[in-house]
Amino acid sequence: MFEQDDETVERVIQHLRRPMVMDPGLDARVMREIARVPSPKRRARLLLPLLAVAAVLATVLIVARPWSWNRASKTDVLQFVLVAPQAASVTLVGDFNDWDPVRSPMQTAHGVWATVVRLAPGRYRYAFLVNGVEWRADPSAPAAKDDEFGTPSSVVTVGGRGS
Amino acid sequence: MILAALLLVTQVAAQDPRLERLDPDTRSAVVAVLDSARDVGLPVESIIQRALEGATKGASGARIVAAVRRLAVDLGAARGALGTSAAAPELEAAVAALRAGATPEVLAHLRNVRRPPLTMALSVLADLVASGVPADSAAAAVLALAPKARDADLVEFRRAVERDIALGAPPGAATSVRLNAGALDVYGANSGATNNANNPRPRSRP
Repeated sequence: MFEQDDETVERVIQHLRRPMVMDPGLDARVMREIARVPSPKRRARLLLPLLAVAAVLATVLIVARPWSWNRASKTDVLQFVLVAPQAASVTLVGDFNDWDPVRSPMQTAHGVWATVVRLAPGRYRYAFLVNGVEWRADPSAPAAKDDEFGTPSSVVTVGGRGS
Repeated sequence: MILAALLLVTQVAAQDPRLERLDPDTRSAVVAVLDSARDVGLPVESIIQRALEGATKGASGARIVAAVRRLAVDLGAARGALGTSAAAPELEAAVAALRAGATPEVLAHLRNVRRPPLTMALSVLADLVASGVPADSAAAAVLALAPKARDADLVEFRRAVERDIALGAPPGAATSVRLNAGALDVYGANSGATNNANNPRPRSRP
């Protein structure tokens, strides 16, 4: 079993010792392929305009902050809430809806009345009209002290910066 | 005759249709106030809103007219303190501050130490007074915070003072304590700024 193996190994060695004939055009073909691959300098030259465009885009994004354009358009969305379990209807009435009792009806869930209003910067007076007859101030907001009409009102302020 | 009719039609057309909720006498008096305000360059929207508030709340015409006249006068005083460049929301907030007891000098000082808009600073001043804080303490606190505090900082300051008052703290003391505590956040612990409610020393903007 070992002798047979030795013969096989010897045949392989003889085969490997034969001189190998190389294709004379191989070197030329390899060098042609290498020349086709862009050099690192050439790659950098191709990337430079792309990098410049990316830098300009990044600068525009950082300076202009398009994700905050909605806030910059100077409106805030505010939710007004009144807990009034016994009320049959509640409407929000104020400087932002011409004190029109029908424009901002509030929706209820288990006696918690709420509505959402979009407001531009400013100081607004408002009140809740309960059951169409009873004026109530917002217990969670500053009171309007200069009430000249004998019913309570509240104030809300929407700031113009950093709010 | 025709000319008079045309003039009347023009005047009616120029009127804000929202004012039709007022009775004719009240409406003509309010329109006169609005025209006067426009003539001197004052914003009129808040005056219209005050008239509409009165109408919706069922106030008498005399009360509505008195309210809009008073507001027009106060808007003029606010503009006198803040200057002609003040925006309408700033003037409306300034009216609230003046009615709360702030002096025109306080408003002018605020304009000098804080970059516009001043709406929130003026509102916080008025709201602090409405919470029971003495007007001079509220003014001093807002002036001390105004140079560097953001609008959100001012709102948080007001809320903190209101919470303390609700828990039983005397309004003036609550303002002083919160001012000194908040000064570290607003000005930075190592800035060396002095923020005393009784002796505000507003700093110029960097």
